[in-house]
Order: sequence, then C-alpha cells, then structure tokens
Amino acid sequence: MAQIKLRQVDEYRWEIPREGKMRTRGLIFASKEMLPKIHEDRSLEQVANVATLPGIEGPSMAMPDIHWGYGFPIGGVAAFNLEEGVVSPGGVGYDINCGVRLLRTNLERQAIADRIEELVNALFDNIPTGVGSRRKDLKLTVPTLKEVMRYGAAWAVKQGFGTTDDLAHIEAGGQIPGADPDLVSQFAMDRGKDQLGTLGSGNHFVEVGYVAEIYDEPLARALGLFPGQVTVIIHTGSRGLGHQVCDDFIKVMLKASAKYGIELPDRQLCSAPIRSPEGQQYLAAMAAAANFAFANRQMITHWVRESFEQVLKMGPRDLGLELIYDVAHNIAKIEKHVIDGKEKTVCVHRKGATRAFPPGHPEVPPAYRETGQPVLIPGDMGRYSFVLVGTQRALEETFGSTCHGAGRELSRAAAIKAAKGRRVVQEMAAKGIIVRGAGRDTIDEEISEAYKDVENVVNVTHGAGISKKVAKLKPLGVIKG
Amino acid sequence: MSHTADVGLKIWGESLEALFANAARALTAVMVDRRRLKGTISRQITVEAPDLEALLVAWLNHLLYLYDTEAFLGRDFIITSLTPERLEARAVGDTYDPTRHLSKTAVKAATYHRLAITQVPDGWQATVILDL
Repeated sequence: MAQIKLRQVDEYRWEIPREGKMRTRGLIFASKEMLPKIHEDRSLEQVANVATLPGIEGPSMAMPDIHWGYGFPIGGVAAFNLEEGVVSPGGVGYDINCGVRLLRTNLERQAIADRIEELVNALFDNIPTGVGSRRKDLKLTVPTLKEVMRYGAAWAVKQGFGTTDDLAHIEAGGQIPGADPDLVSQFAMDRGKDQLGTLGSGNHFVEVGYVAEIYDEPLARALGLFPGQVTVIIHTGSRGLGHQVCDDFIKVMLKASAKYGIELPDRQLCSAPIRSPEGQQYLAAMAAAANFAFANRQMITHWVRESFEQVLKMGPRDLGLELIYDVAHNIAKIEKHVIDGKEKTVCVHRKGATRAFPPGHPEVPPAYRETGQPVLIPGDMGRYSFVLVGTQRALEETFGSTCHGAGRELSRAAAIKAAKGRRVVQEMAAKGIIVRGAGRDTIDEEISEAYKDVENVVNVTHGAGISKKVAKLKPLGVIKG
Repeated sequence: MSHTADVGLKIWGESLEALFANAARALTAVMVDRRRLKGTISRQITVEAPDLEALLVAWLNHLLYLYDTEAFLGRDFIITSLTPERLEARAVGDTYDPTRHLSKTAVKAATYHRLAITQVPDGWQATVILDL
C-alpha cells in the first residue's frame, strides 16, 4: 500500500480517509508530537488493512499507544457486525486476555519504606517468573484444567485463592461466557498445565507502588485510593495455553479465509465470519484461554497477599489488599453498541486496548456504577502508571475502548544496546525502585527509554474524552519475568 | 532485524535444510544463551503444514511447544527429511535449568506476519517475526 494519508480532525484525532479496498475510514488517537514516531513503523498501514475486512462497523481505530503488531496494530480497536462481520485471532493477539489488575492496600508508603526489598524478594520467591516459568506445586490434570477454562477466576476463588468479592471487581466477573474447553487442543493444554499461577516473561510484571498524585479526588475516593497509599499491579496473561490457541486457530482461519472468500492484505489478518463454525469455535476457544488468564491473575493475587502477610506479619484485614479492578488487553467481545442511532450486537476486537465503559453501563460492576469502569494503564518500570475511568464518549466513539499502556518506542534489540555497559538494576535502585528479574536481558529490554512516556499517551485519551484521569502511581519495587 | 513489538529473524542457509536448522538455532538463541546448552538429549520431530512458509512457522512453534511442556531446548538440529509440506528432524539439546542457563526472552510464537522464504544466489533466505 502507498504512503498512508493522514488528515487532522482535531487536537487528538487523525483520520485515514477511506480509499482503495477500505470499507471504512481509519481513526487514530494521537497528539501531533507522537506522529513522527507513529509514521516510522507500518502500524498506520495496519489500521488501513483492518478497514478492508468485511462487516466492520464504525472506523478502524488505534489508540495513542499504537505500534506495529502483526496483522492488526497493537492499540487497535475494531468492531464487526454479526451478519457479515468476521472474527480474527490476529485482532486479539497471541497472548489472549493478557491484562492487568490493580490492588489497593490500607498501607501508607512510609510504613513499608524499609521493607520493600524483602517484599520484592518474597514476591520473586512465591511467583514463578521468567522464560518458561512453571509451578512445581501445581500440576493440573486435564479435567481440572477444563474447569479452569470454563470458570476462570471463579475456579481459583472456589479453590481458596481469593474471595467472591474479588470476582465482583473483574471485567466480565473473571469469566467470559461461552467458553468451550473441548475446542482447546491437547497441545494447548499440555503447554498450559503447569503454567497456571506463573508470570512468564517479556513485559509481564508484579509491581508494588504508591499513589503519587490524584487528579480527581471524589473518583479516587470512590475507587478506594488515597495519596501515598501502597498499591500492587499485576500484568500477565494466558501463557503458553493462550499462545497455542491463537496459533492453532490462525491455521484454521488461513483455510477459512480462503473458504469464505475473504480477501486479505496480510496473512496474519486471517479471519472467518463470526457466524461460521470456524468463527464460533474460535470465540469459544478464545473465551476458554481468556478464562485461564483470569484464573492466572487471580492465583498470583493470592500469592501477592501471602507475600505481604509473610513479610509484614499483618493479617488480611489490616493489609486491606483488595482488588480494585482487572481488565483484559487482548480480547474479542460480543457487546451491544449504539451505531447510527440503532442498537447492534457486534464483536469488538481490542488488541492492546482496554475496555472503558461509562458510569451506569450494565456491564460495569455495581461498585463502579457511579464512577465508570476503572481503567488501568501501566507504564514502564522506571516511571509511573495511571488509573482512569471509562466515559460516555468512549462508549459512543470507540465502542467503549481506550489505550492499554505506553507502547514500545525501541525494539528489544535497540533497548538492550542502549542498556549495554549500564547496570540497570543499580540505576533503578538509585531511583528508589527495587527490581528483581529472571534474566538480565529481560530487565535491559524494559528500560524506561524503551517505552513512550505513558503520561503523553494517557493525556491524549483524557484530552480526547475517551477516559478520565484519576490517579498516578509510582513504582517502589518490581518483579519482572 | 528490528521490529518495535517483537523480534524479526533474517535467516540464511545454503540449502533449505540448513535454513530450517538455522532458524531453529536462532529461536533458541533468542530464549537463552545457546552456548551453555549441552547436547545430552534428543527429540525426534515431525511437523506438517500446507506450504513451505507455513512449515517454517509450524517447525518453530513445535519447538516452543517442546520447551513449554518438557523444558527442552534444542542446540543442534539435523533435518532428516524435508518437503514443502512435511519436515522430519532430530533436535539435540538440553533441559532448561535456571541455575545453569542464562534466560533471555520468552517467545510466544512464530508468526505469519511478513513471513517469507526466498531463493538467493548462494542459497535460501527467510524472514520470520517472533511474537515476544
């Protein structure tokens, strides 16, 4: 495809006009300053490619953390109607329901100031991290694994890993309906069976931090946040099980695209009609993998709580380690949206994007009916993360979606090169952040300058009105995969 | 090859067999320091796919499967039979042990994104992007 044309709509919105085989326009949320970087890779071409898929409703969108993915861009959002629309594993990604959850505590930062190192070490000991991390204490049989995939976080709670109150604070209650574990291959189950309760590698982490700044006092209070408060973020996904489900279904979809005559500008966009057997099977298998991810974050939450209790010698009541919310980043969801004044059921693909439903929406849990759904945007390990809430404008304009993170700016190889000769762990310690990681490269790859400044990303979504800033969190200690 | 989200491998081999073996070595090298792996265990592998390019993805993803399920990491690869739809190989390597091996980056999958195998004057060249 030729050079992508971009037309400015307003301060935060840019349009790729419909042309060629595009069925709709592209819509990018970004600031003027971000554009040169966005133009460096081929992510805008990917937004245009997604716009060629059948049954797309509204524009093919990208959030300000847009970067080059495979098929769909990362930061991409696209909805497809159930009549002619398609579902694409490339629109979800390999790490199905990679996501993030935020826990609050009753603790003030000063109370744990001299215990951070001990706390980070306890987390590192209790939660397996790194390449191919596995749990020796938790090997699941096939029937149990199928229960995990059917019931998600509810399975973990039933086993004693957390409380039913946790479930009321997770997207979709921690259980995507329609999951069919029988559609998940033996290969996928083999890969996942001893990975439940593990963090994995790459950009996944558990971070102890604190509330550094509050932008909206009443919203912060409603979410249980106060200045100086200790918080915990958990970022991980469906591990090998989800990756295998994606790989298995890309093979299915490559055949399906040919069978149903779907023209593809990129093989990785392979899809099937939502109503076709292939489309339905993918959605049911994806839901099963998504539920595995919800259970995974739930189990890790349990070990986070245990680590705090163990180090600080405090009981759960005093710690107050409650779940604020858990959001999915990589998922396709069947949702109802008003399009051109009419309510339609669509399949919303969010690939590296977060749901951002407004106050009063029926799918927002009762605790947040007044505030809107919490939106959690992790940054890099050296700077800060953000808590926002969803808005009516997001519901109307982006199918209730917003950004999911900072977005990489340097390739991993470039980040490792930039970190060469430096002692990143010591640098971080000098900034008051204790980092433990399974491998040196995984830490080097994650240096702050490898990422966009998440504040710029969040300011675009706040400025565009598709989510609203509540608080800024800063890290104190991080375990990396 | 640099790709912001992931890692792109550009692989060369004087024959298709060498190309597939080199791709597997490159995959291992992304995950761990390959030089520290012993060649003590071996696995017999057969994969099938509709075409040669898809076969390369299937081959690399099968190696990731062996890693996730058995912690097996191949150091050397002997391709015993190769057609555009089927590959038979023997992988010789080690069981991953965090006390002996330097872990690098976990790979989620080899993708079809910008996947290409082309014949070049002195052999074969492939591009494959890994999702990390």
